[in-house]
Amino acid sequence: MSLLEIDGLTIRYGGITALNGISIAVTEGETVLLVGANGAGKSSTINAIIGLVPAAGGRIVFDGKDLATVPCERRARLGIGFAPEGRRVFPRLSVTDNVLSGAFGLGRAHQKQALDWLCSVFPLLIERAKQPAGQLSGGQQQMVAIARAMCSFPRLLLLDEPFLGLAPVWIQQISAAIAQMKQRGTTVLMTEQMARPALKLATRGYVMRGGEVRRSGTVAEIREIALADEYL
Amino acid sequence: MHQFLEAAIIGVGLGAQYALLALGFTLIFGILGVVNFAHGGFYMLGGYVAYTCVAGLGLAYPLAVVVAMLATAALGWLFELLLIEPLIDDHLATLMLSLGLYLIISTVVLAIFGPISMEFAFPVTGSFHAGSVYLPRENLIVLAVCLVAIACLWLVLFRTDLGRALRALADDRAVGMAQGLRPRLLFPLAFALATGLAGLTGALVTPILSLAPGVGEPVLATSFLTVILGGLGSLGGAALAAFIVGLVEAYTSVYFGGSIGALVLFVMVLLLLVFRPTGLLGRDVRGA
Repeated sequence: MSLLEIDGLTIRYGGITALNGISIAVTEGETVLLVGANGAGKSSTINAIIGLVPAAGGRIVFDGKDLATVPCERRARLGIGFAPEGRRVFPRLSVTDNVLSGAFGLGRAHQKQALDWLCSVFPLLIERAKQPAGQLSGGQQQMVAIARAMCSFPRLLLLDEPFLGLAPVWIQQISAAIAQMKQRGTTVLMTEQMARPALKLATRGYVMRGGEVRRSGTVAEIREIALADEYL
Repeated sequence: MHQFLEAAIIGVGLGAQYALLALGFTLIFGILGVVNFAHGGFYMLGGYVAYTCVAGLGLAYPLAVVVAMLATAALGWLFELLLIEPLIDDHLATLMLSLGLYLIISTVVLAIFGPISMEFAFPVTGSFHAGSVYLPRENLIVLAVCLVAIACLWLVLFRTDLGRALRALADDRAVGMAQGLRPRLLFPLAFALATGLAGLTGALVTPILSLAPGVGEPVLATSFLTVILGGLGSLGGAALAAFIVGLVEAYTSVYFGGSIGALVLFVMVLLLLVFRPTGLLGRDVRGA
C-alpha cells in the first residue's frame, strides 16, 4: 500500500493551471524523484502535499488519510517533513532554534534525541549552533532546512530542489545526508531540475512537463529520458 | 552631579516602563503584522483593573497588579482569537479593529468611572537617598518589577519552545506552518503576552502618574515613537530605544523643562528616519 497517493491533482493560480490532474504514488521506504524543467509543476506538487497551496481538484492521501480537510500545520504532525525550495530558513533564528522549530511541542526528550542524531548527520549543526541561519552560505542553509524538516522524524520527507544553486562539495554532503535519512527508513519525495545527483539517491522517478506527468519509471528509465531532455 | 545621577536613574526607570510597552507593541507587529492601536487602552485598563481590585475589592496592591496583568492578557487573547485571527492578513481591517477596541475600552471606562482622575496612590512612599542623591521608593520598585518582567519576557522568547515558535512564525509564517507551528494557537498567546505586559505597566505606573480616561493615548504615541526609533518588529531595537527615550525625557525635563523632551524626541526620530529609515536595529524587510 502506498504511503502517499496523489490522484488527479489539479492546482490553479488564478486562471493559470499549474498542475493538470497528475497522479503519483510513493510506497513506504522509497525515494522518488520528480524531474522536470522550470515551471513543470514540481514545486506546486510538493506545496500541495504540505498544504501551502489548495488543490482545485483531485485527492492527496497520506497513510490512508485524505488530506483535503487537513490544514498545513497539522500535516507536519501527521508525519510529513518539508524542506522548501530556496531553503527558506528562519534568518534571525540560530541554527539550533531553526532545527528545533521543526519539533515544536514534541517534548525535551524527543528534541534531544533528534538533535543528537541530526548533529551526527550534519556536524555543521554543532559548529554553527548559535549563529543566525541567515548568515550561513547556501549549502549550509540547505543542511539546516533539511535538518529542520527531519527534526520530528517524519515518515515522509519532501525535498524541493535540495541541490539548486549549490557547489559540488555541498551537493556531495547533502546527498550523503539524504542517504542517511533513507537508511533510517524515511520515505523521500524530492524534486530536481538537474537530475544527476538526485538520480543517485532515487529508486523511482516521474518526469513532469507543463503541469502533467509525462513518464514514470525506474531510475535507469528516468536517466535515459532526462539525458534526452537535457536534465542531466 | 547628584542631579545628573538622579536624572539617569529616573531615565532608566522610565525606559524600563517604555520597554515593557514597546516590547509588547513590537511583539504584536513583528509576529502578527498587526499595528495594535488598542495598546494604550490595555495600559489604561490595567490601571483601572488594579484600582478596582484595591479600592473596590480590598485586594493587596501586588495581587491587584497580578490580576490586572492576567485580565488584560485574557482580554487580548480573546480579542485576537475572535476578531483579529479571522482577518489576520488584512492589515487595514486589523488596524481598524484595534482602533475600535481602544474606543470601546475608553468609552466603557468613561461610563463606569467618569472623566475625573481616580485617587489611586502607590502603597509605598518616601524616598531612598544615598549621599545627596534622592530617589522616590515607588520609582525604584516599579523599575525593579519592570526589569524582572523584561527578563521574564526574554526568557520566554529565547529559552522556550513557545518563544522559538513565535520568532519562527515572525520570520516566515508559511514555512513555520509547514513545520507544524500553529498560528491559531500561538498568535492569541503572543497577543495575550503583549497586552498582559501593557496591563502590568498600567497597573504599576498609573498610581505614580495618573489614572483617568485618556491616559492610554500618550502611551500609544510613546510606544509608536519607541518602536519606530528601535526599528519596527525588532525586540532588541524596541528595548534599546525605550531606554534612550526614557533617558532623553529625564535629562531634558531636568535641564530644559518638560515640553522640550517631546520636541527633542521627535527631532531625533525624524533625523533617524532620514538617515536610517529602518530604525536603530530594524531590518529592510519585515518577516511577518
